[in-house]
Amino acid sequence: MMAAVFFTLSIAFALDFAGHRSLALSCLLLSFALGVSLFLWEVYSPEYGFRMPWLQL
Amino acid sequence: MTEAAAVPFAVTLDRLILAAMLLILAAILTAAMVMQYAFREIPCPLCLLQRYAMFGTCFGLIGQLRSGNDQRGAGISMTFAVLLLVIAVRQTLLDLFPRPGHDYVGSAVFGIHMPVWSVFVAVALLLGFAVRLVLFGAPRAGDLPERAPIGRLTRALAIYVTLICTINLVSVIVQCGADACHTTGYRLLP
Repeated sequence: MMAAVFFTLSIAFALDFAGHRSLALSCLLLSFALGVSLFLWEVYSPEYGFRMPWLQL
Repeated sequence: MTEAAAVPFAVTLDRLILAAMLLILAAILTAAMVMQYAFREIPCPLCLLQRYAMFGTCFGLIGQLRSGNDQRGAGISMTFAVLLLVIAVRQTLLDLFPRPGHDYVGSAVFGIHMPVWSVFVAVALLLGFAVRLVLFGAPRAGDLPERAPIGRLTRALAIYVTLICTINLVSVIVQCGADACHTTGYRLLP
């Protein structure tokens, strides 16, 4: 999944460099969606969900 | 009248601020790679996502430096800066209280660990964009000539950032393969 995130971002950079702005933005949008999904997957815990019970205020 | 003189001073200063932000981000990303390869510190998944958010911010900055009359690049950069802030704050809160399996990953720089530095970087980026808008109100002056010094610097930085993004892609493939990332070792290395 991380590889897909960096792959789409690298493609976006390459397309932008080649002058294909619209395609680059599409790749960036896809990359952003993958990145946010991966972040949520990484921080989700089956035990706590998205909560952080070790933080006691 | 020379090309440089034809560009209003506010626009030149605006481009200088954006170029400085891009240069600093490129330096931070380079330092992260040096720590990974020279000091053998394998980045955690959230660390890699913070790098990713910094690359996304660079993408927007490069676009903004190239364009004259639209602020789409600045919007992209601010979006990725917010993503960087969210990821960095979450990782800082994860590792804030020492618990088994939840120590800060990597060594501290000036006594501060990487996710906390990322919080500072994200806040500095967002403040930089806010200051830029306060000072210049998003200057509209057409495209900057490619031959202008800032145009050449932008092109060089764009090539460099694209190159280190590609190196990071290869590094991520070697570390994680097509699966989840771990800090125990490189999946594709013996």
